[in-house]
Parts: sequence; structure tokens; C-alpha cells
Amino acid sequence: MTAYGVLRAEWVKFRSIRAMLGCLAGAVAAAGAYGYLFGMTAARDYLAAPAADRAAFDPTETAFRALVLAGVLVSAAGALTVTSEYAAGTMPVSVTAVPRRGLLLAGKGAVVALATFLIGPPLALLSFALSQAALAARGVPSAGFGDPGVPGALLGAGLFMGLVGLYGLALGFLLRRSAGAVSLGTFLLILPGMAGLFPEAVARWIVTWWPSAAGARLFAVHAGTEGLAPLAGAGVLTATVLGLLCAAAAVFHRRDA
Amino acid sequence: MIELRQLTKRYGEAAVVDGLTFDVRPGVVTGFLGPNGAGKSSTMRMILGLDRPTSGSATIGGRRYAGLPVPLREVGALLDAHAVHPRRTAFDHLLSLAYANGIGRRRVEEVLGLVGLADVAGRRPGGFSLGMKQRLGIAVALLGDPPVVLLDEPVNGLDPEGIRWIRTLTRSLAAEGRTVLVSSHLMSEMALTADHLVVIGRGRLIADIGLEAFVHSAAPQAVLVRTPDAPRLASLLWDAGAAVRPGAGDGLTVTGMSSAEVGGLAGAHGIVLHELTPWRASLEEAYLELTGDSVEFTASPAGVAS
Repeated sequence: MTAYGVLRAEWVKFRSIRAMLGCLAGAVAAAGAYGYLFGMTAARDYLAAPAADRAAFDPTETAFRALVLAGVLVSAAGALTVTSEYAAGTMPVSVTAVPRRGLLLAGKGAVVALATFLIGPPLALLSFALSQAALAARGVPSAGFGDPGVPGALLGAGLFMGLVGLYGLALGFLLRRSAGAVSLGTFLLILPGMAGLFPEAVARWIVTWWPSAAGARLFAVHAGTEGLAPLAGAGVLTATVLGLLCAAAAVFHRRDA
Repeated sequence: MIELRQLTKRYGEAAVVDGLTFDVRPGVVTGFLGPNGAGKSSTMRMILGLDRPTSGSATIGGRRYAGLPVPLREVGALLDAHAVHPRRTAFDHLLSLAYANGIGRRRVEEVLGLVGLADVAGRRPGGFSLGMKQRLGIAVALLGDPPVVLLDEPVNGLDPEGIRWIRTLTRSLAAEGRTVLVSSHLMSEMALTADHLVVIGRGRLIADIGLEAFVHSAAPQAVLVRTPDAPRLASLLWDAGAAVRPGAGDGLTVTGMSSAEVGGLAGAHGIVLHELTPWRASLEEAYLELTGDSVEFTASPAGVAS
């Protein structure tokens, strides 16, 4: 029972769950489709805007907006690594193989974090490429991969997805059921998108401090004047995920398996 | 060797397992018997560190399960045959558990052969019959070639061929010197497999006893004898100190005397016997007598329900 052994074991489990492939393929589709749609919308707005506003147009602003939606599927994949075990009743078997539960949780976490971290940049790349293509197709100014801030945003997308995957995993341990973990995880992730429904002060707080909104600063191309700095945003999301993981570890350790 | 000391599990006020103390020794099959809900599974789950005891301890070779460095090499368990991911192949199911305990692919292939699943190693257990899942569960238990094996209700729902397979397997595991604990709620099954019995009811220990001793302790031996000359034999038996009750037809039920003694007495007096059968209470009866007070739900006779 070594960390390496547990890691290999968890990887075998991860790759043998079909739904995992579905979630990650869905994340790719979401990143591409929404990336293109956000690009189209931005192009329409640009063409309708007066010349003064056009000067302030930032083509990268919409480039990664699709990643939060793709993140919904990534967090679902994280949750499934845990809830699939509870659903199939294999958690007791896993715990008898690795009775040090912290090690079991860490092994699952490492596999999820690595897989989701690696899928982040390709998702970002896809969303970026299609959104900029949509802009360029209408003759609207667009950005290239080499533009300042873009490579950093791609890496940031990897970190974002890794954190979101762990966030799903923690919810999986806490709630144990796929439906609960996935729906709560989705709701909490996309809450900033519904900020407009709240009073303005609350809305402003949500879009700045809500962990998924703050974490999205990781793939902001320009620091901008609104919202947190990328590192501060990353800090908020990381702290939230660490908090959830600690809660998950405590519950998993105490509960009968 | 598994050692339980005052092992207790409570959920609120209700004790599922209540102060269990017994040892499970190597080299024999220990049958773990009790009615449904007696606490057999809870006890096994505590031995495996899955459930936390409220008090008391369960150790394997002197150590708690959670403290075993490579658990599957020390203890193998089958708790629930249905506990497999329906879409993960039998091979991957075993491989993931093997890797976690530093066991290689070759051993996975080996145990698949051992339980007769080599041909379906690459198939998903979703389509497996209960018998096949049971075999896969046994493969998990044997993966680390462990000296201690725990099987929870392994024959439940199996066909006769599967039951015989499990029976032979448990016997041979014990013959190899392993510690084997097999739970069941069926006395008849344990009579064929176990050497030693641990009987519990409502979480408490009822008996910790060898199979033979269990049978003898629970019911007196008797001899059934049929003869056309019953009244004469009966009085002779009375005089010799045996207790005699009339049996079916012209039969007598004799207690306090062996069949050889009854036959000898009849022969000495020239009494013709049509039947002479040593009889003892069936294991089932002995078991029911012991656990009668501790079944969780009892059907009341029709019409008597209050």
C-alpha cells in the first residue's frame, strides 16, 4: 500500500468509468460550442456599437467565457470518481484495499487533479480559437495565440480546471450521490451568471468574490480594472477547494465506509 | 487468528453488536451463524475497519485492520458480491485493487483462473450472473493469497453447483492452514462446511463451540426402535434404566441408552426388532432451539395475532 500503488489503482478506476469519458467529451463540446457562440454575440455587439465604444473593444474578453460552462462537466467528472463508487457499492472494497482513508482520498484527488489540469489548456485553446474565428469571420478585431497574456491564460485555464475537478471530487465525498453532487456543483459554479437577479451590491460581491467568478480570473488575459487580480482570484478558489477537501477528508475519515 | 474483545456497535440506543468476545483460529472453518439481523455483517465490517466499533476491539494477528501495511496480503474478504462497478471489467476491478496493494498483473490473471473466470476477464460484470459475481468476489478475497479469509453469506442465492464450489473452496482454504470465517444464517450449510461454530443472536454471543459438541449439547441422543413386542421391550428398557416414550405406530423412542445397548438387550431376550435407528436432533433443530429467543421478527400463528 504505497502512494504510487494507490495512484495506479485510482487511475485504473478512473479510466474504466465510461461516464468519465462522456463528461470530458462534453467539456470539449461545451468549450467549442459556447466559445463560438460567445464570439458571435461579441461580434454582433461590436458591429452595433458606436465608434467610441468600439475603441474599447477587447476581443479576448469573450475568449474564455465558455470555460466556466465546460467546468460544469469537469466538476461532474470529479464528483463521479467518488459517487460511482458509492452507487456501485465498491467503496467498502476500496477501503479494505486502502484502509488509510486519507491516502485513498489523496490518490483519487491526485488522479482527478492531474487529468482535469491536463484537459484545461486544450479546452481553453479550443474556446479561444473558435471565439476569435467567429470575430474574424465578421471582420471584427480578434486576438492571436501569441498576443500578450494569452499563453498565461491558457495555463491559468489548466489550473482552473484542476481546481474545479477537485471541487467536484470534494462534493462527491460530502454528498455521496451523483445527482446531488452534480446538481449542487453545477448550481454553485454558474451562480455568478445569475448575479443580475440579485440587488446590485450583492451582485457586485458575487461577481468579484464568488469562488467560481474569482477563479475565472485565472484565464483573464488582461488584468483590467474590475474584479480581483488573477492571483488573488486563484487564491479565493484554491482556499475554497482546500476547505471543501478538508471537510471531505474529515467526513470520509469519520463515517462508516 | 482473529480476536474480538467486547466488540460493540451501537446506533443510538440500539446495540447491533453487543460485547462480542471470541477467537477465530487458523486451520479450521469457523461458521459464523445467526438469524438475519443478528449482527454478523456488522461484526465482519468492524473486523475489516469499515465500521468503527462503539467500544471493544477486533484484531487480526494482534493488529487492527487499519494498521496492516499491506491489508490484502493479510486478509481477504467477500462482503457483498454485488459490489462491483457494472461497467468496469472483471480484470480492471481486480487490477485496481491489486495495484493498491503492490500486487502485479500476473496474480490477477492467476486468481481469475482460480475462480474460473479467465474467459470473461475482459467482460463487464453488469451482465454477470450472481454466481459469476460471487466468483469475482472470491477472486478479490484471494488476490493477496491471504492467511485470513472472511466470507459473508457466500452461498446466498447460488445454484447447487456454486454452493458445492464454495464449500470445497472453504474446506481447502482451511486445510492449507488459513483462518477462515464464513457467515451464514443456514445451519444446514454450516453443518457441511464448518468445524467450529460461533453463534450470535441480537448481537450477543450464544455459542462458541465445536460442531460436534454443538449438536450434542443442544439435544439428547435417542434411539428409535420398532418391534412387534413393544410392551415387553419397553418394560425391559425401563428396568435397565432407560427412558422410553411411545413413538409412531409400534415404535419406541429410547433415551439414556445407545443403540448397541438397546439391540443387545432385545437380543438377549429373543425380541425381534424391525428397526433400530440412532437418532439425534437435526442441526437445524438444535440451532433453532438456541436462537429461538433472539430472532428479530417472528411470525405469529394465524388467528392468534393480538
